[in-house]
Amino acid sequence: MIHTLTELLVMSVALGIPILVAATAEAVSERAGVLNMSVEGMMITGCLASVLVAVQTGSPWAGVLAGALAGVLVGALQGLLSVVWRADQIVTGLAITMLALAGTVFAARLLLDRDAATPGLGRTAVPLLSEIPVVGRALFDLPLLGYVLFAGVAAVTVLTSRRTAWGLAVDAVGEDAVKADWAGLPVLRIRYLVVLLVGGAGGLSGAYLALAQVRTFTDHMTAGIGYLAVVAVIAARWRTGRVALVALVFGAAQALQFTLPAMGVSVPVAFLVALPYVLALVAVAGLVSRSRRPSALTVPFVRAGGG
Amino acid sequence: MIPRLPASLRSLPGPPDPRHPLSLGLLCGAGALLFTVLMALTAGSSPGTTLNALWSSTAGNTFALGAAVNTAAAILLIACGFVIAYRAGLVNVGGEGQFALGAIGATAVGVHLPEGTPVLIALPLTLAAAALLGAVWAAIAAGLLVRRGVNEIITTLLLNFVGLALLMLVVHYEQLLRQPVTSAETLPRSEPLVEAARMPLLGVSGSPLTVAVVVALLGAAGTAFLLKRTATGLRLSAVGHNPHASRRLGVRVGGLRFGGLTAAGAFAGVAGGTVVGSAPYVLSDDIAAGYGFTGLVAGLLARGSLLAAVAITSALGLLVAGGIGMQMAAGVPATISQMAEAVLVLLVAGTAVLVRARPRAPRRAAPVPPPPGPVPETAVQGSGPAEKEALR
Repeated sequence: MIHTLTELLVMSVALGIPILVAATAEAVSERAGVLNMSVEGMMITGCLASVLVAVQTGSPWAGVLAGALAGVLVGALQGLLSVVWRADQIVTGLAITMLALAGTVFAARLLLDRDAATPGLGRTAVPLLSEIPVVGRALFDLPLLGYVLFAGVAAVTVLTSRRTAWGLAVDAVGEDAVKADWAGLPVLRIRYLVVLLVGGAGGLSGAYLALAQVRTFTDHMTAGIGYLAVVAVIAARWRTGRVALVALVFGAAQALQFTLPAMGVSVPVAFLVALPYVLALVAVAGLVSRSRRPSALTVPFVRAGGG
Repeated sequence: MIPRLPASLRSLPGPPDPRHPLSLGLLCGAGALLFTVLMALTAGSSPGTTLNALWSSTAGNTFALGAAVNTAAAILLIACGFVIAYRAGLVNVGGEGQFALGAIGATAVGVHLPEGTPVLIALPLTLAAAALLGAVWAAIAAGLLVRRGVNEIITTLLLNFVGLALLMLVVHYEQLLRQPVTSAETLPRSEPLVEAARMPLLGVSGSPLTVAVVVALLGAAGTAFLLKRTATGLRLSAVGHNPHASRRLGVRVGGLRFGGLTAAGAFAGVAGGTVVGSAPYVLSDDIAAGYGFTGLVAGLLARGSLLAAVAITSALGLLVAGGIGMQMAAGVPATISQMAEAVLVLLVAGTAVLVRARPRAPRRAAPVPPPPGPVPETAVQGSGPAEKEALR
């Protein structure tokens, strides 16, 4: 029993990390009023870029960097469309995702050598801490990048909490952009920056998925977890701190796909594949009415008279 | 019934303005085509080879043209449903899941009908089952929207994944819809539909053109009639324009939203039914791939004009067929057609600000006769599901 629980927790954390990283950034972005349905696209772009560069250079860390940069580029496109050109955020986000999903398949056919081994990220166990029963292996026997990402998530959460000037600025821009502008906040710059942050986070979580978990690129390998990250923000009711819990739950829902058959429980695979999405549906259905989303979410900002 | 010319066409005379919605649309289309040719060039196919492959796999070949038009018919059905929901201010992203459920419904009926059933009974039954399951799938999202105020974009999107998992489930289990497993090579797909439940060919020689085209055109005509000539259509756009004002005027906002989104699901379901009913007449787990997004693109680009929807879906159907043709003839990955679609949406959505940025004419001038000149129509067109046509 303890063994099964440990295995489940290890898998849940491993599968929850990509969602956690992307959702933390997305929560900040939504608090600033920009919804990015393109998280899925940023992730898949990060996956392909990291694998391509890792294979080329032989260094997984160069791949991680490339993944982050590729994500930032997708974020720059999303920011250009939704912040600067004030285009419909949901439509452009979905279209960017579609472009990235199709584009990565296209580019993988042309550029990726399917036979080349992908240099992956090995695990680094923290001495002593990883010996703690149940939670030890889940939290302290991760690839190095995992710890880096945890630190990054913690940093973003603290730096954008409501006790910092940055956090207040983000909330002000997302609640009432016009008044924030009167108060002298650079609305467009803040919004563009948070979208770039989502891009970088999405790219990094894609790189983590591809280099630390799957260790190769497969078509459509993100399989919708980018959308789960967006839903996680809603389920966490736009509180950056709660995102971690929701990400763990979504990770667990995915982990059941692998642990239940291993435990000898026979459930049709399709049910297990659908489980995270059903859970996500229940989460938005049950929680959304008790929450208040940022007032200016998806509302573009333009200074009156500025055209 | 011929729909009136869209406002954008009526105001054509005069100096050509590159910001005009129509010329902007053409420019975006040209941009997407240029993108396709450039992408194919990076894949090692010269522009000549690319355009040649595009032509010969679509318009230059009777069989391919028929297949492309069949595809376009399914896209048109999804687009019609999208437009109905969009009129009520709702964005249905769930076309793919509703399509999958429709395909399941059509197969469940189509493989179990007795062999001798007349076509006139079997076909409507099959399509009705498709519409019903598609509608039920959309109704989940619609119910959550009306009852609990959950954003329909998120729910329909998530339901896609659940719907595709269901599709996977039914084709993998013999107790459900899988064909009897006789050997290890038995594919996870359904048995073929009985003869009577298949979409009859239209009888154009050498062409796989089926009745699906007629179904889709009837659907488009029906949608146009509903939206432009009935009180329900007027109420739907009222809800889309201003739900609060509509509620005060006694319009049943919740009911109309529920109905609009459910209708969108029914249309997407029928689209799934027509695709299962076309060769090779079996349900497989990749049958829904790409249809949902393409239907959304078509509905979005048509901006409420069903005449435009017919034109755009034809182009998109050709584009999908052209992508497959380019893969075979020029060695370019077929996903290039999805990339072109996505670029088209980005261009259209990104340039919408150019239309919006023009001086806003009085926006509340709806009840008075339209002033001459293009200003109010274009100003409105840029602002979402706005269509003053019906309110006049």
